[in-house]
Amino acid sequence: MTEEDTGGHKAPPVSSMKMVSKTVSNEQMKQNNENKILTKNRSLSQMKKREELAAYLFLSPYLISALVFTIGLLAFAFYISLNRWNIFTLPKFAGFTNYIKTFKSPDFLRSLLNVFWYSLVVVSFQTAIAILLAVILNKPVPGSSLFRTLFYAPSVTSSVVISMIFWWLYLKTGFLNLAIGKLLGVLHVAWKNIDWLNDPRGLFQLIAGLFGKKIPYSKWYFTGPSITWMAIMFQAIYTTSPTFMIMFLAALQNIPPSLYESASIDGASPWKQFTRITLPLLRPIIMMVVVLGTIGTLQLFDYVKIMTSGGPLGTTLVPVYLIYRETLGTEGPIRAGYGAAMAFILAAIIFIFTYLQRRFIERGTEHYF
Amino acid sequence: MKEVPSITFRFLQEGKKMNEDYAIKDTVKDSVKDSEKEDIIDALKNDGENPVNSKPFSFYFNLSIKYFILSAIAITLFFPFILAFFGTFKSNAEITLWPPKILPSKWLWENWLITWKTDLGRGGTFPRWLFNTAFLSIIIATLQVVFCSLAGYAFARLRFRGKEIIFTFMISSMMLPGVVTLVPKYVMMAKLKLINTYWSLILPGAVEAFGIFLLTQYFKSIPHELEEACMIDGASYFRIYRTVVLPLSRPALLTLYILKFQAMWNNFLDPLLYLNRVNMWTLTVALMTFQQQYKAQWNLTLVGAMFNAIPVLVIFFFFSRYYIEGVSYSGLKT
Repeated sequence: MTEEDTGGHKAPPVSSMKMVSKTVSNEQMKQNNENKILTKNRSLSQMKKREELAAYLFLSPYLISALVFTIGLLAFAFYISLNRWNIFTLPKFAGFTNYIKTFKSPDFLRSLLNVFWYSLVVVSFQTAIAILLAVILNKPVPGSSLFRTLFYAPSVTSSVVISMIFWWLYLKTGFLNLAIGKLLGVLHVAWKNIDWLNDPRGLFQLIAGLFGKKIPYSKWYFTGPSITWMAIMFQAIYTTSPTFMIMFLAALQNIPPSLYESASIDGASPWKQFTRITLPLLRPIIMMVVVLGTIGTLQLFDYVKIMTSGGPLGTTLVPVYLIYRETLGTEGPIRAGYGAAMAFILAAIIFIFTYLQRRFIERGTEHYF
Repeated sequence: MKEVPSITFRFLQEGKKMNEDYAIKDTVKDSVKDSEKEDIIDALKNDGENPVNSKPFSFYFNLSIKYFILSAIAITLFFPFILAFFGTFKSNAEITLWPPKILPSKWLWENWLITWKTDLGRGGTFPRWLFNTAFLSIIIATLQVVFCSLAGYAFARLRFRGKEIIFTFMISSMMLPGVVTLVPKYVMMAKLKLINTYWSLILPGAVEAFGIFLLTQYFKSIPHELEEACMIDGASYFRIYRTVVLPLSRPALLTLYILKFQAMWNNFLDPLLYLNRVNMWTLTVALMTFQQQYKAQWNLTLVGAMFNAIPVLVIFFFFSRYYIEGVSYSGLKT
């Protein structure tokens, strides 16, 4: 399993060839210098040994850390996932029963569905908004760097701060209800205040309700994301869009202005310039942002732990929260093996998702490179 | 079929590209300066003849529309913080009152003092949480800069067996979802009796692939000549690293320091797992627990949120250039 995971990310032969050719030229340069240094009565092999020793000394803190905290922990995680273990008594070997149990657990399946919704909505909106913000900021006006700083500032604060502020805004007597009420008041529509963080009604349930149909809560796979879940999605989009805006902005500033100049001479409208020049040239960065966004959103934990603890009615359960719950035994006994198995399954899903996204986004981009 | 480049390759490529881009940007900057000079010369020539016509009305109109849009977005993004800031001065009854008002009817400055004097017993005081947070952030950011720059120097400048393999391994490990090591790390810390000690956060956080990657890319962009001169003089590798490479890469080191300081300051999951004794809490954990236990005290909770947010915001405003460069350069936030 782990071998497969890392195997998917090995550099392809093309890149390693390029890198080799570059190091060769460097090496030749160093060779020349070494010939000069040789006058200091040192043999070449001695020099090489000295360099190698130095390199490994420089690297030793990282190597120790990687050995313990990456390789060691990965192996340990796999071992734990094969056992039944409450971490105090001796572990009991259980084979793959933890993995099988995971797929049979309604909580886990539900958490997967929730996090899929979350990932789909948050990644698409934050990417689109980030591009929009970057395009707006890219037109140089005096003081645009000040605006860049201002746009970005909210996203340097911690998830706990964001959660607290939005929680307060989401209260039944909070500012969100006030704002929506005022807006609808202009259209003479009455608004009944919603307790945003404690409303399990799902999106599809609400839509079905408009047509006089009912979807019961027991069919959780048809209810769609709940109102609470959508509120959390909104807050996530709000805070992460500026982060990705910065990446798009850096990429936009590298598009040569001459491209736009010649396009406007040819009579291309701003919209055409955006779809024919900006978007295709941003494609590699879009891929990076989508992949990073997916990795981040599928591992959501903070907002759920702080604001909802998976409620109401399990509509905001996410896998990492379940893993945390099993490992610390906050609800029931500690089941470390079960938690570790869930973590591996989630990691596998993340790898599959990001791999597919890369295939999908990169298809048809070859002719740009 | 053409092979799709992996993420690993993509990252490497991005790094190289960015280096080249920096060079391009510099030349662009120069050209802008030149055009500005021309503008100035033109303006001097036109002085007294028809200065109004050189900038038509539509130019100012467009500019003011742009400023309007930019300010509207900035205010929207900041609005929750502004509301929360005014909320810290409200009384507890007023803060959840319907309909909510932006400004408090009476400014209760003592809310900030009450929060500062929070004492949950057993050493759980507000200054203590602030100290824990600041201490861990400073230690971890410092260690990251030291250890990552050491490793980065080795990757950027030295030749040794296994370099390609270790580097590829490092890049791949950056793609590993953190959740995989959550369970074993917790078990390990519990077994080593490191729960409720600073070590549980410092040891795993002291050096990370991300920082090494960032600094390696930067070191590679520094010219070699000075180091080679030192080599001929017989300086040791460590001496070259300390006296030549480090001083030349101050911006990159600062970028890494700020990113890591902020990451630890905002870290929630790790302190939640490993620091559960009340005197070991960080601000994030304290804030969450405080809110969940005393749900009614919204005004004090928001003060706590401000205490948590203001230090990083201040640092960000002072060093935003380094910060933004770090984020856009690497494409990774934490």
